[in-house]
Amino acid sequence: MKRKWFFLFLILTSTSLISGCWNARELPDLAIVSALGIDKNEDGKYVGTFQIINPSYVTGGLQGGGGGQGPPVTVYSSTGDNIYELTRRLSTKSSRTLYYAHTNLLVISEDLAKKDGITNILDAFERDYEFRTTAMIVIAHRSKAEDIIKTLTPLDKVSAVKVIKTLKNAESLLGEEPTVTLQEVIRYLVSPGKEPLISGITLIGKKKNANKVANTQESSTPQARLESDGIAVFKDGKLVDWLHGKTARGTAWVLNRIKSTIVNISWEREKPAIEYTVMRQKTKVSAHTKKGQPQISIHIHAEGDIGEVSVPVNLNDPHVLRKIEIEVAKTIKKDVNDAIHRAQENKTDILGFGEAFHRSDPKEWNKLKTNWNDVTFPKLEVNVTVEAFVRRSGLRNKSYLSELKNKR
Amino acid sequence: MEKAKISAYQLFVLIVLFEVGSTLLIPLALDAKQDAWLTILLGMVGGFFLFLVNFRLFHYYPDILPTEYMQKIVGKSFGKFLAFLYILYFMYMAAKVVRDFGEMLITSTYPQTPLFIIIALFLVVIIYTIRKGIEVVARTGELLFLILLLLGISGTILIAISGIVDLKNLLPVLEEGIMPVLKTTFTQTLYIPFGEAVVFSMILPYLNQSKKGKRIGVYALGFSGLALTLVVAINISVLGVNLTARSQFPLLSTIQTIQIDEFLERLDVYFMLTLILGGFFKISLYFYVAVAGIANLFNFKEPSRLVYPMGIVILILSITIASNYAEHISEGTRFISLRIFLPFQVIIPVSLLIIAFFKHRKKRGK
Amino acid sequence: MPPFFKYKKQKVHTDQSKDTQDSANHHVPEPIESSLSANLDSIKQKTGHSSDIIVRTIITGNTSLHKASVVYVAGLVDTQAINEFLIEPLQTNHDLLEKLYQQDGLDKVTKEFITLGSVHPVTNWDELFLSLMSGDTIILIDGSNKAWSASSKGGERRSIQEPSTQVSVRGSKESFTESIGTNIAMVRRIINNPDLWIETMKIGKVTRTDVSIMYINGIAKTEVVDEVRKRLKRINIDSILESGYIEQLIEDQTITPFPTIFTTERPDITAGNLLEGRVAIFVNGSPDALLAPALFIGFFQAVEDYYSRYDIATATRFIRVLAFFISLIGPAAYIAITTFHQEMIPTQLLIIVAAQRDSVPFPAFVEAIIMEIAFEILREAGIRMPKVIGSTISIVGALVIGQGAIQAGIVSPATVIVVAITAIANFATPSYTVAISARLIRFLFMIIAAVFGFYGIILGFIMLLVHLVSLRSFGVPYMTPLAPFIPKNLGDTIIRTPLWAEKIRPRLISSTDNPVRAGEDQKPAPPQKRGMKKKNTR
Repeated sequence: MKRKWFFLFLILTSTSLISGCWNARELPDLAIVSALGIDKNEDGKYVGTFQIINPSYVTGGLQGGGGGQGPPVTVYSSTGDNIYELTRRLSTKSSRTLYYAHTNLLVISEDLAKKDGITNILDAFERDYEFRTTAMIVIAHRSKAEDIIKTLTPLDKVSAVKVIKTLKNAESLLGEEPTVTLQEVIRYLVSPGKEPLISGITLIGKKKNANKVANTQESSTPQARLESDGIAVFKDGKLVDWLHGKTARGTAWVLNRIKSTIVNISWEREKPAIEYTVMRQKTKVSAHTKKGQPQISIHIHAEGDIGEVSVPVNLNDPHVLRKIEIEVAKTIKKDVNDAIHRAQENKTDILGFGEAFHRSDPKEWNKLKTNWNDVTFPKLEVNVTVEAFVRRSGLRNKSYLSELKNKR
Repeated sequence: MEKAKISAYQLFVLIVLFEVGSTLLIPLALDAKQDAWLTILLGMVGGFFLFLVNFRLFHYYPDILPTEYMQKIVGKSFGKFLAFLYILYFMYMAAKVVRDFGEMLITSTYPQTPLFIIIALFLVVIIYTIRKGIEVVARTGELLFLILLLLGISGTILIAISGIVDLKNLLPVLEEGIMPVLKTTFTQTLYIPFGEAVVFSMILPYLNQSKKGKRIGVYALGFSGLALTLVVAINISVLGVNLTARSQFPLLSTIQTIQIDEFLERLDVYFMLTLILGGFFKISLYFYVAVAGIANLFNFKEPSRLVYPMGIVILILSITIASNYAEHISEGTRFISLRIFLPFQVIIPVSLLIIAFFKHRKKRGK
Repeated sequence: MPPFFKYKKQKVHTDQSKDTQDSANHHVPEPIESSLSANLDSIKQKTGHSSDIIVRTIITGNTSLHKASVVYVAGLVDTQAINEFLIEPLQTNHDLLEKLYQQDGLDKVTKEFITLGSVHPVTNWDELFLSLMSGDTIILIDGSNKAWSASSKGGERRSIQEPSTQVSVRGSKESFTESIGTNIAMVRRIINNPDLWIETMKIGKVTRTDVSIMYINGIAKTEVVDEVRKRLKRINIDSILESGYIEQLIEDQTITPFPTIFTTERPDITAGNLLEGRVAIFVNGSPDALLAPALFIGFFQAVEDYYSRYDIATATRFIRVLAFFISLIGPAAYIAITTFHQEMIPTQLLIIVAAQRDSVPFPAFVEAIIMEIAFEILREAGIRMPKVIGSTISIVGALVIGQGAIQAGIVSPATVIVVAITAIANFATPSYTVAISARLIRFLFMIIAAVFGFYGIILGFIMLLVHLVSLRSFGVPYMTPLAPFIPKNLGDTIIRTPLWAEKIRPRLISSTDNPVRAGEDQKPAPPQKRGMKKKNTR
């Protein structure tokens, strides 16, 4: 017995001693990459920009750390023929191993997305066991990815966090720009019945000052700042168009991606008169064939509150509310139709109508699949029906504006 | 045969852990695309049939191991040969699952650690367990089953509330008719995992209430079938068919997709726990059954002496079995399914049952 | 139970038991002589003229003078009782000794004259010394080859005090003392039932310590009682100084950090366990009773769980099990996360930890080990420290470890937090013995976590489970009722169901003939005069 135990012990200790921690990485040896930007330079090589978190400057005021004196992030860049090479080439510049598990933002420059498309660069990210496919992907609109990465921001010290939070915030309050993760982009790139959309970010102001610590220390608007800016439309992996404002929101309506948004309607020819806040919505897209012709019907159901009125209107009156509801439905329908027309002009099915066909009629879809984006989709007949409901009108029923009117 | 008894509930737990074990993690039955869940259900029905075949054989010979009753059914020397083949099959399967497991761990979290070390450490734990006998394996199973159940339930809840499930991804049902589904069923899901339950013909004699065995076995297979169906359906509805099929470990991708409030995210440890606990049982059972088979066939008084050498054999076998992961997987799913699984899981048990049936009728007739 | 393969061990066992039987058979005790002076001489000689052996010789009688001697050990006996009830009657009652010489003298004497508790005859030296040394008084009479031993145990003893380790807010405040008689009486006072059976034996070749087995006949399993008796009889050792000696000699499994016998210093816990069918072992001189068979989950059951309501009890027990897990794998998980699985924690948290670790010169493992060892030293020092200096040590410890180490940049604050939480969690386990084993295993987990990360921790955890599951306490699987899974007994595990719902005694522990402990319909309910169920009759 004793010999056996000894044997077991020997195996255990020797394996653990020989092993010597291959995968062990101490935190001080890691460079935590928070964001990664990809550009292409004049030589046709990829330029990667890596935003690396400088932990002690981010947390600040901690014992052992130097306090919030230095910049919270450090930026490295490297060039290479493909993405994997980029990351490895960087080792000549960095004292620490780059660590991608916390990279939550991937920025791709507009140029690259337009000229070469994004199809060639995503494989490395998906394959890597560290990189998370839940990372958000954005397109640097009217600027280089590098500039976005280099920008220092106040409040959220790590600009990657700032970008992600801004986009998510905008998505949940305004609903114009649905955010997408790497995983979704790849899924739609592959799918024949849906094309990807990627939200855009832009750098506004003096680009030169963007990477200075001083940029974060002004109480007024920083000299250079990051703002969300439209959604990029892709076709065959290449950027073909940008959607802004209402068109973008119409797209979001169809994609069922609206969490909350505002709708401006006119009242008795005054425009804009009533602000309607969408609190809940549900969009159903169904596909069917009518007389051999593929058709799509979209049904949107929206519920919401009145946010603001700038004309005297009696919100106690159910008829008035009914009228408002009809008006809201009209406005939404217009947005949606605009968005559909824009997509059809672009000949790219960002709205996922193809997938709807695939689900409802797989046999028919097999015939349509090959020429979907270029032939069938642009001519597709789409019926949009919108139902809108006003649920509440805030703390007041009548606006004081109607009292003012009476006073005169 | 070891002097031990396991209860009906313990058998249930062992079957579920064995069936679900490593199968949860691999891309199962994705040749049938979004109908993968259907093939699993069909495979489950086939699994019931195969289990009942084995149970019937056990019913004819309730007190002895298959390695022994094979000799009674087809004659001493041929029976011994057959039993030996089965032992080789069990050992091969043990080695194969060990390799699966090691590869999974390396690709998912430990890319720089040598395969040998990962596997050796795992086998040390398994050897320790096996030496304690089937009762301890079964009792450990009871505890770990609770843990896995807890993981499963909480994981499902997390996935549900994080809102990443899109049931539309499961449509259309039967896109290309029933044929691809049937084909996948008969080339994959029938054998992995359901046909693998042939292992339990070696465990059934330990059951203390043999009457309950039939019902418990069917329940357990049904439970694991439903659990697998659920997991595959969740994977597909979260990731979409395409990504699920391209993933080495769909479950890992699904778990990584969970994000609740920027806090409940990065739950990879779920995957690791499931991976290790599941792998542990599958390998332990194959290993135990191989040891018990050899001990029975060659009349070893102390099976514990066999555990170390057989552990080393399995270790070496698992490393030399394939040169890379792709080779290993294609061996596992395409090559062996018809050449090895079909005879060992279907043909031999069924023909044994037919012979046994006629022998018993003759006896009764006399 | 049949282990998979264990031959050699059993062989050794049988050999040993044979040896003890043989040696016991060879010894033939010497009889007492009839001459008083010769007897007294040999007492003095055998005790080496020890000064605490008191011999009083009394000469009395009406017709003829008779000599008798009273022998006792000073300090062990109740001197007042001897004087009043033994020496006085002997001196004043002159018929007494004469009667002693008559036939059936003893009966008469004990019935009529000696007012002390129990008196019984002693015929050989072995018995004589046994009773003399355990505090009885020996009466020797000239010309008789019999001696009488009168029970007169007494002397100075610690009185019953409040429990010191198993403290509770609610419930009795008694704890066992060093006197076995007092201890047994305390349990009897709780269980007023003739079925509470006690067997006493002397164990220890030199110390001849009183050891008692206590169980409730009809509830305890006969096999377990027999097994306990057999194992106690097997003990052949010089001394039994504490119940810990017995515990170590009758355990099922020796290579394990986990206790397979439960110890308690509270009579109410003992009574509760007896009522579940366990066997209690008392050792004279030890304020701890042993309870067997013990289950793993039993070490998480505090006495208050049963005195407070079930919902609260369940919540606290949950916390305890959680605390045990934390104390087991807390630092290991910290090491694994910071050196292997940085991807598993939220980004913000990682940044904070990374900022702290940036300036620390050691790897996380070394850091954690330093802190753990420092803490263990502090704790060990604290236990054996005179109480006066105790506070000094805690101040020094808190300052040096808490403040100094962090400010010097030797350890990071996160590590200190982890070690501190682990330490506190360790104290949340009600049983000291299990808490110690968790302390020990924690270091193993830390090592394996440093080498393999979570993979190592999970494998270690599986191995721990396999080990726990393979343990048995007096034949009962250690992890009952979780493995083997007994749904009916789950009511008193990680959860505790209400008392009125717990109808059945633990299955594998108590006797199968008599499993019901509560009657039907025990759930209390308010009188149904008002409320929704019944209409108010007015």
